[in-house]
Amino acid sequence: MSEALLEMREITKSFPGVTANDHVSLDLQAGEILALVGENGAGKTTLMKILYGLHKPDSGWIAVRGTRVGIRGPRDAIHRGIGMVHQHFMLFPPFTVLENIILGEESQTAGVLATARQSKQISALMEENKLVVDLTARVEDLSVGIQQRVEILKILFRGATILVFDEPTAVLTPQEVVELFRTFRAMKAQGRGIIFITHKLDEVLEIADRITVIRQGKMVETMDRVGATKPRIASLMVGKPVLLEVERPPAAFGPVVLEVKDLVVRSSRGYDAVNGLSLTVRAGEIYGIAGVEGNGQSELVRAIAESADVVSGEVLLEGKNIISESVRERREGGIAHIPEDRQKYGLLLPFSVAQNLTLGMHYRPPFVTRLSIINGRAIRESAQEIIKTFDIRTPSEETPANALSGGNQQKAVVAREMSANPKLLVAAQPTRGVDIGATEFIHRQLVKARSEGKAVLLVSADLDELLALSDRIGIIFKGKIIKEIVHDEAVKEEVGLYMTGEKANGAA
Amino acid sequence: MARHRRRFGVYALEQSAPFIGFLASGAVLTFIIMALGENPGKAFQGIFKFSVSDPAKLAALLSISIPYYLSGLSIVIAFRAGVFNIGNEGQYFIGGMVGAIAGVYFPLPPVLHIPVVVIFAMLGGALWALVPAVLKAVRGISEVITTIMFNNIALALVNFLVNGPLSGLQKGTSLEPQMKKLLPSAVFGKLNGFFRAIGWNVPNYVYLDYSLIVAIVMGVVIWFLLFRTRQGFEIRAVGTSIDVSRYAGIQVSRVQIGAFMLSGAIAGLIGLQEIFAIRGFYTYNLASGLGFDGIAISLIAKNSPVGIIFSSALFAFLKQAGYGLQLFSKVPNSVTYAIQGIMILFIVAINEILIRAARSLRKKEVG
Repeated sequence: MSEALLEMREITKSFPGVTANDHVSLDLQAGEILALVGENGAGKTTLMKILYGLHKPDSGWIAVRGTRVGIRGPRDAIHRGIGMVHQHFMLFPPFTVLENIILGEESQTAGVLATARQSKQISALMEENKLVVDLTARVEDLSVGIQQRVEILKILFRGATILVFDEPTAVLTPQEVVELFRTFRAMKAQGRGIIFITHKLDEVLEIADRITVIRQGKMVETMDRVGATKPRIASLMVGKPVLLEVERPPAAFGPVVLEVKDLVVRSSRGYDAVNGLSLTVRAGEIYGIAGVEGNGQSELVRAIAESADVVSGEVLLEGKNIISESVRERREGGIAHIPEDRQKYGLLLPFSVAQNLTLGMHYRPPFVTRLSIINGRAIRESAQEIIKTFDIRTPSEETPANALSGGNQQKAVVAREMSANPKLLVAAQPTRGVDIGATEFIHRQLVKARSEGKAVLLVSADLDELLALSDRIGIIFKGKIIKEIVHDEAVKEEVGLYMTGEKANGAA
Repeated sequence: MARHRRRFGVYALEQSAPFIGFLASGAVLTFIIMALGENPGKAFQGIFKFSVSDPAKLAALLSISIPYYLSGLSIVIAFRAGVFNIGNEGQYFIGGMVGAIAGVYFPLPPVLHIPVVVIFAMLGGALWALVPAVLKAVRGISEVITTIMFNNIALALVNFLVNGPLSGLQKGTSLEPQMKKLLPSAVFGKLNGFFRAIGWNVPNYVYLDYSLIVAIVMGVVIWFLLFRTRQGFEIRAVGTSIDVSRYAGIQVSRVQIGAFMLSGAIAGLIGLQEIFAIRGFYTYNLASGLGFDGIAISLIAKNSPVGIIFSSALFAFLKQAGYGLQLFSKVPNSVTYAIQGIMILFIVAINEILIRAARSLRKKEVG
């Protein structure tokens, strides 16, 4: 057996009270793609941070090409050929692609940037790795998928041979995923090694050579792709058998709950992000919105659930136009909203779980008396019930929300919105960054809402999720629904083509 | 049981920053005194003698902490709502003047007159906060800039009014520019007799007056408002995250304006003791800087209406300690100011460290 490109042996790292990594070992061969899978909090991130020099392991060692190394920080890691593509890109939006790539490594002639040689070097890298980007474009004008390519070029330019990708496909369209995997294969052919972190098991089975599963800080198993199956990996990750597909009872549609008519919404950047969009959602129906990010999804959600700069058109909730209503009026009218960025919008982190579970309803009886004095007991009792019903893991309802695990914070937001007993549930990217167990929970809740006769508007970047849950899927492109597909007719590849606008003829 | 004890330990750790900071800055002070060639023992004795050595000194500390407390309280409200009211300096000059106008020109019986001047002082402070509050909430204009500007405008305005239309200079009185003397019914009585009756020997030269009652009442009211009412919940929610608040249907701009004006209203009370108990008339030569001190007082106490009892007492102590140090040693005045700054810096920095430590300990408990 040839010398491994990277070896991590018996890595142990504990933080006060938790052992994030407990004697974890993995190795990566040259020209290999290793998928690293595990639930949120299983210790993948810690392990990769150790590899990248951001944490120091308590014990265990790392060897690169057979030499044991101590990695003191990201600079050191890069120096040893380890590069990482983070979920959140580290790019300067107003700079050009070239500037972003060479930043920190600029070559100069008498104090003047000499970019010609470097841009030639980058062009060669683009060719070899099938990563075509316009070097003179400004990063802020590029789509997320292209920005990711810039990130990859950045680390290749610094000579990375070991590349770590932290959930790279979470933000991509199916076509972009295909292209990313082409790049993966090209890099593999050059003998680079790739560690690929993801939640999506289909992708694991498609691209990985070997799969390492970790659970609760321990390495559970490393297996070859050949012979691995989705249910097997999923049950190893969770520690028990998992239902990958939520059962969807036959539909029983009621009257139209939400109707959006010729809606035009101006985005905060001043253009019409939603541009003449119409759709209807019936009671007992899940309507999925598919589309590449930035095609007006966020603005549409805001126009329905919050308040946005609506230029024209109507948003009708049970026939009543709500565009000039406040958030509170909309909530009282029966709209619940699982926000896209739950860290930012969902919870008051220093506040107790109980207060968070009544947030949005906190101003009305029984949570306050008529003199608007807080009724702590009513809040606690209501919270206890929600905690029990939705199985939120918390020591008590008085625990501050920031002490909960990420998955339980997500659950808390979903539980709160569901318990408001809405007529319309707007769910924006409800499972983004959520692990398999919590995803299953959220999917079940959405289907339950549907069975209870609620209308559900589901906005998601995850096509599999949309295909599994939605009764109808509307594909949004440049602020319009360009195609509506009924559940039974939906084909993934076709939806993907509409998402990129390549197939925009059959406008809805 | 063990868990309970642990939780208390974490809590104690979180709250201990002021004490550690206090001790650490004491150590720095010792070092400075020694560097100046003074005897630290003698210097600390001077501090002790002038601050806490007997009941009269303690009473003086209490008296001095009243305006500090009110100033801190006004900042607590603003900070809890996430607004940076640097304007309580101007608000107390205006609030004091409006209160004094009511005290000079409204002939009322004492039972009514005292509450009326308090209310007017609050109205004055609140009104002075209105424009920056609206600019902030509606147009998003930084309140740091506007309130600083309004401080300058306030000083110019009271200067003009006290020298002009409201001038009360009379023959035979001092030449200090001032408004007319307050009507006797508006003058704040002293509580010294009451304290002596319950066994605390408060000498006559110490002002423990109605402003103490005002401070206590306001402290309780604000505490209740912040932690026991929906409005207070919304103030704290907005201060924690505007995004979450907006998402939850809270009218952020309304809450910000309300909290800002309430902050101004409390700021309007800072000058009460000096105007209505000590001087008996309004002048623009009121002790200045109390508004800015409130920022540090609130910061040290982590914006707690209870915590500022201690941090305002600390400020009062530092003030007296400074006098003691100057009288009994050759340590210059500037050192006492430096020590104040160092102490605040220590407390705030140590606080951040301890909060982080406590958070990871809690995580461990939950995890």
